[in-house]
Amino acid sequence: MRNDIQLESIIEDYLNGKLNPAEQAAFEQLRSNDPIVDHKVVAHKVFLESMQQYADVLLLKQQMDAAHDQIDVVSLSAQLKPHSSRIVRFWNNYKSAIAVAASFLILVSVVVLNQNKQEGSFEALNRDVSQIKKSQNSLIRDIKANSQKTNITPAKYGGTGFAISSNGYILTNFHVIKDADSLYIQNNKGVSFKVKVFFTDAANDIAILRVIDQSFRNLGSLPYNIKRSSTGIGEPVYTLGYSKDDAVLGDGYVSSKTGINGDTLAYQIAIPVNPGNSGGPLLDNNGNIVGVINGKENKTDGAAFAVKSKYIMEALNAIPQDSLSKRVAYGKRSSLQGLKRNKQVEKIQDYVFMVKVYN
Amino acid sequence: MSIKLSSSVPTDREVVLGILNNSEEALNKLYTGYFPMVLQFILNNNGDEDDAKDVYQEAIIVLYNKIKSGNFELSSKLKTYLYSVSRRIWLKKLAQQSKKTNNIADFEDVLAVDEDIEQHEQKDMQFDKMKVALENLGEPCKTIIQDFYIHNLSMQDICEKFGYTNTDNAKTQKYKCLQRLKKLFFQS
Repeated sequence: MRNDIQLESIIEDYLNGKLNPAEQAAFEQLRSNDPIVDHKVVAHKVFLESMQQYADVLLLKQQMDAAHDQIDVVSLSAQLKPHSSRIVRFWNNYKSAIAVAASFLILVSVVVLNQNKQEGSFEALNRDVSQIKKSQNSLIRDIKANSQKTNITPAKYGGTGFAISSNGYILTNFHVIKDADSLYIQNNKGVSFKVKVFFTDAANDIAILRVIDQSFRNLGSLPYNIKRSSTGIGEPVYTLGYSKDDAVLGDGYVSSKTGINGDTLAYQIAIPVNPGNSGGPLLDNNGNIVGVINGKENKTDGAAFAVKSKYIMEALNAIPQDSLSKRVAYGKRSSLQGLKRNKQVEKIQDYVFMVKVYN
Repeated sequence: MSIKLSSSVPTDREVVLGILNNSEEALNKLYTGYFPMVLQFILNNNGDEDDAKDVYQEAIIVLYNKIKSGNFELSSKLKTYLYSVSRRIWLKKLAQQSKKTNNIADFEDVLAVDEDIEQHEQKDMQFDKMKVALENLGEPCKTIIQDFYIHNLSMQDICEKFGYTNTDNAKTQKYKCLQRLKKLFFQS
């Protein structure tokens, strides 16, 4: 017992470096010879370190508690704690989310405002349309630049027209021929015929021309019909027009049952049209004429307009029926039905003409 | 929302040097300087003032041990380090209490301090073991051991304080107490 106490105090002095060099050497000798003593040294070292750590932390905690007592925690926490008001706390907790939501709202309102602005310009466009239909987007082609072969004097404007009877009655847009001094049509072979305005319907933008040229030959029976019923959105349609000197096929679909600004006279169609397409027939896949191309909206891509076939029929009914030989049929089965697009185009291209306007 | 810390916040260098020199004043300045930051964090994340005190003191201990161990580099601000450690400790406590921990309201930048906290947790276990062992030791052994090892009293002082007739008797008593304490400490 006494030896153990002495050994313990020597170990402690040894670990604390309190032994003199001679004692230390002697003790290290003892330690290396006696595993039990060696183990006691190691164990005591671990214990002393833990004790030292414990003492350090304890002291630190005391010091921190003293420091803590200097702090006025109550008033500080009153300042810092979440606001008792639910709204303020909500704001503090979710301010990032609120910021996101707010910026989203701002974004949306900006978009909505922009849309409103667009609508404004749309209406402005409408006003133009109601004042002067022609300026809406008359797809009359200015062909003064490329006149070539055909005539002595070059045509000023060009449009498209199509036969509504075999004996030379051609339907086109009123705006195409409105300011004309003299008018010619030209077929797909490049042959021109002089025509006269026979009937106009400015409200529906429809005009009927009559060929007065002696060289004009009877066209034979027309391959297409005029569709009686209205056409639904999504109906595939195409048009053939003279946006250049040769006929050009335009393909698309009916995109709205009303024209510009809800105009019930017209369809909106998604077909790329260009100046010169005005007056061209709009056909569905069965070879029925569903409308006449008459304009496009200059602000929106791919929005063109076509006068509904119903108003073509009204125009046809307004003229003396006995003047029309083998006039275009209404609501009958078209001879184009079931044909592929290229065959249909091949058949109708003889009945679609370029309208050349001189003034 | 974040409230300005008082101007008495010491520079990081002052704190590190102060802790290495066992300066109580430096510790004081450090403690009072950054407590509001941690209090704000805890109060806004499901805690109260006592939680803040516990968490903050643990964070200071982590920082203290790191500085004392000599491998503390001033690569980040002490403020950021203390905040990150406090935050990590509090999130762990919240998870242990299975309180909800989503939508943590943060007030400062956050560092990755997981390694330091793991080391701290090991040391903390040792601390608790020693604390439990001492409490189980009973009187007068507990006080004798604390006086000798923590308050650094000599055996002479202890002999007089407890009224032993001579220091040898006191030494024998201390020896017996120490044996029991070691047993408790190493066996727990």
